[in-house]
Amino acid sequence: MPDLITITIDDVEYKVPNGMLLTDAAKLINIDIPVFCSHPKLDPLGACRMCLVEQDVRGRWMIVTACTIRVAEGMKFRYASPAATQAREDTLEFLLINHPLDCPICDKGGECPLQDQTLKHGPGVSQFQEIKNHKAKRYPISDLIMLDQERCIICWRCIRYLEEWEDKPQLGLFHRGDRSVIDFFPGQPVDAKTSGNIIELCPVGALTNRVSRFRYRPWDTKNIDSICVHCSQGCNVRLDGRIHQLRRVVARENMAVNDEWICDKGRFIHAFADAPERLTTPLIRDHKGGELREAGWEEALALVAQRLAFTADVQGPAAVGALGSAKLSNEAAYLLQKLMRGLVGSNNVDHRGGAAVLADPRGLSAIRDVEQADLIVLAGVDPAEEQPVLATFIRRAVRRRGAKLLILHPRQIEDTRYPGAYLPYKPGQEAALFEGLSRGLLQEARVKERAARLAGFADLVDGLGNAAVDAAGAEAVRLMLSAQRPMILYGPALVSGRAAAANRASLMNFALLAGCVERTFYLAPEANSVGARDMGLLPASLPGHAAIGDAPGRERLERLWGVKLPTQPGLGYDEMLEAAAAGRLRALYLVGSDPASQGPAGQAALQKVDFLVVQELFLTESAKLADVVLPAVSWAETDGTFTNLERRVQRAAQAIANPHSQAAPDWLIFTEMAKLWPAVAGEAKAEGKKSKRKSSGAARQWGYGSAAEVLDEITRAAPMYDKLSWDALGDEGTQWPLADAAGSPLSAVASRRLTPPERRSVAPGRDEYPYALVAGQVLFDYGTLMRQTEVTERVAAPVAVSINPADAAREKLAAGQPVSISSAVGQVVLPVRLDETVQPGTLWIPYSLPGAPAETLLGSVSAGSGARVRIAPGALSSSEKVG
Amino acid sequence: MKRSDLQAMARRELERQQAVRCRLLCCASTPCLSSGAATVQQALEQAVTDNKLDAEVAVVSTGCMGPCSRGPMVTVQVAGQEDIYYENVTPESAQRIVVEHVMANQPVAEKIMPSDLPFFAKQHKIVLANSGLIDPERLEDYVARDGYSALAHALREMTPEEVCAEISKSGLRGRGGAGYPTGLKWDLVRKAPGEKKYVIANGDEGDPGAYMDRTLMESDPHRLLEGMAIAGYAVGADQGFLYVRGEYPIAAKRLEKAIRTAERRGLLGSRVLESSFSFRIDIRIGAGAFVCGEETALMASIMGRRGQPTPRPPYPAQSGLWECPTLINNVETFGNIVPIIAHGADWFASVGTAKSKGSKIFALAGKVDTTGLIEVPMGITLREVIYDIGGGVGEGHTFKAAQTGGPSGGCIPAEHLDTPMDYESLRALGAIMGSGGLIVMDNASCMPDVAKFFMEFCTDESCGKCVPCRVGTVQMHRILERITNGSATAADLQILEELCTMVQETSLCGLGQSAPNPVLSTLRFYREEYEAHIQRRECPAGVCKMTEAPTLALMEALPRRIRELGTIPMSLA
Ligand SMILES: Cc1cc2nc3c(=O)[nH]c(=O)nc-3n(C[C@H](O)[C@H](O)[C@H](O)COP(=O)(O)O)c2cc1C
Ligand code: SF4
Ligand code: SF4
Ligand code: SF4
Ligand code: SF4
Ligand code: FES
Ligand code: FES
Repeated sequence: MPDLITITIDDVEYKVPNGMLLTDAAKLINIDIPVFCSHPKLDPLGACRMCLVEQDVRGRWMIVTACTIRVAEGMKFRYASPAATQAREDTLEFLLINHPLDCPICDKGGECPLQDQTLKHGPGVSQFQEIKNHKAKRYPISDLIMLDQERCIICWRCIRYLEEWEDKPQLGLFHRGDRSVIDFFPGQPVDAKTSGNIIELCPVGALTNRVSRFRYRPWDTKNIDSICVHCSQGCNVRLDGRIHQLRRVVARENMAVNDEWICDKGRFIHAFADAPERLTTPLIRDHKGGELREAGWEEALALVAQRLAFTADVQGPAAVGALGSAKLSNEAAYLLQKLMRGLVGSNNVDHRGGAAVLADPRGLSAIRDVEQADLIVLAGVDPAEEQPVLATFIRRAVRRRGAKLLILHPRQIEDTRYPGAYLPYKPGQEAALFEGLSRGLLQEARVKERAARLAGFADLVDGLGNAAVDAAGAEAVRLMLSAQRPMILYGPALVSGRAAAANRASLMNFALLAGCVERTFYLAPEANSVGARDMGLLPASLPGHAAIGDAPGRERLERLWGVKLPTQPGLGYDEMLEAAAAGRLRALYLVGSDPASQGPAGQAALQKVDFLVVQELFLTESAKLADVVLPAVSWAETDGTFTNLERRVQRAAQAIANPHSQAAPDWLIFTEMAKLWPAVAGEAKAEGKKSKRKSSGAARQWGYGSAAEVLDEITRAAPMYDKLSWDALGDEGTQWPLADAAGSPLSAVASRRLTPPERRSVAPGRDEYPYALVAGQVLFDYGTLMRQTEVTERVAAPVAVSINPADAAREKLAAGQPVSISSAVGQVVLPVRLDETVQPGTLWIPYSLPGAPAETLLGSVSAGSGARVRIAPGALSSSEKVG
Repeated sequence: MKRSDLQAMARRELERQQAVRCRLLCCASTPCLSSGAATVQQALEQAVTDNKLDAEVAVVSTGCMGPCSRGPMVTVQVAGQEDIYYENVTPESAQRIVVEHVMANQPVAEKIMPSDLPFFAKQHKIVLANSGLIDPERLEDYVARDGYSALAHALREMTPEEVCAEISKSGLRGRGGAGYPTGLKWDLVRKAPGEKKYVIANGDEGDPGAYMDRTLMESDPHRLLEGMAIAGYAVGADQGFLYVRGEYPIAAKRLEKAIRTAERRGLLGSRVLESSFSFRIDIRIGAGAFVCGEETALMASIMGRRGQPTPRPPYPAQSGLWECPTLINNVETFGNIVPIIAHGADWFASVGTAKSKGSKIFALAGKVDTTGLIEVPMGITLREVIYDIGGGVGEGHTFKAAQTGGPSGGCIPAEHLDTPMDYESLRALGAIMGSGGLIVMDNASCMPDVAKFFMEFCTDESCGKCVPCRVGTVQMHRILERITNGSATAADLQILEELCTMVQETSLCGLGQSAPNPVLSTLRFYREEYEAHIQRRECPAGVCKMTEAPTLALMEALPRRIRELGTIPMSLA
């Protein structure tokens, strides 16, 4: 029970929690004091004077601001008194003096607190005849946000949001008195990754969304609760649709996931849903070398079913493979693997970032846990680019609770500005880095004593040797040991590629020695990275994480699906492409996967298969090579669930539908395709007769009438989804319990066993590839979805290779100059960009730039995020061309 | 340094001073410097050297002597004789002072400012006791006049609680404007829970025309430091900040030097006077806005944030700099601490009135014979200040009003000339004591115009944070503009009064809360002048040019809604 005290408002006594702001306390007792500057998520300011009430101060009634007063025993207020009412009316009248009455064309009209308050609390008439102040009306403060300085009532919410949540004071109040205007600092427009939240915070129409400006009226849209699917955080959003189009995305409060914020990608990148380039009808290529032609669903689905079944029959199931995506909903991912396993009979299913990443499927304990940590270790992750809303929570932990950050990253990422330590490394040095830290920890007697009880201790000590720990490492160790509640967050970059196992072992050794292994968490990258694993969109594990080789787990699914399942693990993403290139994989089904955009190797592989099916939103590079293209719908056009990085299963409900398109939801495509499967169709025909075919009973298995029905089956297929249902998920979703991981293969990740370090060959010194390529995720890249909007042009990462200025000087490279970069497997040409945050000896290229330069140099998506490269001035000469 | 070392230093300095026959004190405060005091001092030094008087005559640069409008000022001190003040000294007259007065004992009569003038007689120097008598850049000079012995006394013989009690007993009230009882404030900070506490001296002095604080900082910097150190001891702070207005480079330089000297001698810094008390003082240079003198804005500025006020509570005494209890007092308030500790609360309380104790410094300006810096006992009448000290408004002119408190204050008319100058009496008249600006106006001043001047100042200085002040000051200013250009209507006057009340009651900080004061007080005493402007389009003082036509009477008759459109250009009407 909070400590209750008694206050008096308008002569009535109320019991309210001690120390609460008067505005909040009043709300509890249904007195709605109007506010403008005050906001529950921002520190009190007391600037707008909208919330004026009278307070008894030692016997005198004084006008005070309710939003800055913390209630205490015996305080007396008057809210409805003539003086208080008059004061609020006067404030409103003042606010309106210089306010342009743009309501008919103002984006805020209809949801504008200023309009509402004026109606409720305003004076009937204005007595001022002064000419209004004129200020800038169309003033872009960033590529995404427009400011109308005349509409601005200077409530400071935008300034405070950027300061208090982003810790980026990018807006300020300039000039004094009535010349005061909100503005950015000269030459530095707003670029905080979650800046769009200030549009929603703005209590007037001063800040508007440059993407959806003038495209909606608030009373005129159909608003559907959904989630954002641009990254693994799964921020809760509301999709506002009108005339079958997605007009606007706004944040929806979910305290556990995103508080009430979303990032700019979630808010501004949605044009893809309505893009004219969307596929609207199935396409078929009648013979290799021919053109794609439009076709009906019936024909396309029958063709796919027959060809896949035929290939499996003739070449064996292992000659068929499917690549899905971590962006697919649970329902789509589940049905894709069920189709492959149950109908094709192949375990060849995977997705980019699937089997190649040694992910801990449990993800993060809970998103808001980061705010409780006093030391956050960021190992090979950059939340500011990868999960920007999570990044704001981390900053709150730093700024409000004094948490420190220990950052291990190849680039000097933005959050290295905070107290703590930054340890740079080059791709390939991860294990050595953690081994160094482990050595440092072992120099502490108490660590050594505690660790001596762990299995594998002696071998570890042996393997680590006794090389000295450098100063930065010693500082990191000191931070680790002095933290009370440390938390380690690591990303996919650290646990993928050739060294994945060694990297993870060295990280876990470090975490065990530091006593932090229970608080070591994997940050999954994509909207459904966790869900895709839960659904078994992997070559070696089934829904619910049962291993292929785990007979009881397999049999449970066999019973559920009424089929016999293959017992050999299938091929992973890269392996399938290699098998395709080598002619072993003859039919490939791509669902939301686009290997051809990942460089020449992917393209070559796809060209080799006999039969390529691509299920997509757009005619991607891969779709252009397909024999059959199936048009799918986006997350806004169908129901689906997604499981975020903290195992929260959330609903994304259908918000819009395009009546002019034949595109269909993934779950429906799979369902209809399954019905046309020869075995299933045959069985349906031979209804009643006894059949000895191996898919016997399968027909009954593919009768889904909605996504919710698919989810229903998932709850029986994956034990941790037990008891979930579409309705029960509600508005806020449900986390599947961590306890479900105990005793399952998942818990192996946290086994309390030290692993001796691997012997590594010493990296060659100055070789013909003197630079380490660092590749990684940026928020605004040129991925398929980003490409469909013109805002991308303005905000996306520069298309360039970034190099440390010192290296550039040594190589005699100037900014903007084209250079060719080559690795053992590829070569690209990019302009040079100088960047201090790129450490010497490395080059930085984000993933998903046009032409996929980073992917081309890496050669395969599971190579990890690093490769050795060399750089030379000038364009690509034809004799050097690779591949 | 210990107390005995202080005494030794004082002794040595006095001996040094007595070793010369004559001391030539030369004012080196800003007003005199700007009228040529530096060349006068050079001329004096040159004359002394030329006449081989170096051994018997000392030339000393000092702080302000008071009658600044008559500067450069020079005081001649000859052992055994009354001090003689020279006014408007030039390099030539400096030469003559040395040759005729010092050498031949024939004072230069036409340059003498008689010391029996009421200008001096009616003053009571408590805070400025050293000003004009000591060299502000020499610690020894200050110590010779008992400097730092009050601190030594407090540290050795008084508990912090006793120091606070002594200040309370003295009745000292804040000189920064509001007149809050200083002892009470100290005691609040002393009792506030918290390990770390701070002391701030507010030397921002933004009132137009005021320079009391600058003079004190320039003329007697060690008094201020000593006062702050005593405060630090009393409230339990070990860090002080001196916030000096950006336009005061000389003050900042002298204070900086004084702090360094005091630290070197163990009078500040760690283990002050070899006690267990430590106290550091750092200087912060003001950001150049009037509102930065407001305590919460000033603290924001010290912390490196935008200098804008924040709502109180919490008061600085509970939560100030970096959320620690913080004592903030005006520079002049700190100037009173040393005499109170040195001579006792009773002595201090014997000066002044029942509720306003001690003295107050005013920057006397405007239409009086002698302008300058004066320190008078509380309770002195305005008449004495203007006619005796200031020498009256001059032949052929009539006194019209005295403005106190600058943009936050008000005007006092002739019928109230006998009002005693104390906090309560001034407030009752709608004026305030303020920080000490005192402008005398004669009948050539137009009161609506004066109000407009101060309102314009407020519109410029409003920080823009809160609505009533940001919007209200501009609205008030526009109405005053209409009144003074002949285009106002009767309704304007009514709206103006309503605006005043609203802005007063609902603004966030003192700037907005007091911005209407000049309007309200002139309306109170000179309403007929406003009416003359509006009804007869006439400026009785002949100041305003009535260039605009009033809004048509017809316009007034229109329904309000239509009037609001305001599209009919006033000049066509
Ligand atoms: C707009 C504004 C400007 C102020 N400027 C000053 C100033 O320049 N110097 C000053 O001492 N106090 C100034 N004050 C008063 C301070 O806020 C504060 O009350 C004072 O420094 C307290 O010291 P005292 O108790 O010694 O008077 C100002 C107040 C306001 C509202
Ligand atoms: S901000 Fe509100 S009141 Fe202002 S123009 Fe827009 S809708 Fe109208
Ligand atoms: S732009 Fe909007 S949020 Fe920012 S200060 Fe103005 S009204 Fe407030
Ligand atoms: S943080 Fe991720 S989920 Fe949240 S809005 Fe941004 S992209 Fe979407
Ligand atoms: S009253 Fe004026 S100066 Fe004070 S906070 Fe408000 S706008 Fe700023
Ligand atoms: S809501 Fe209280 S002052 Fe703005
Ligand atoms: S400045 Fe010289 S007398 Fe005042």
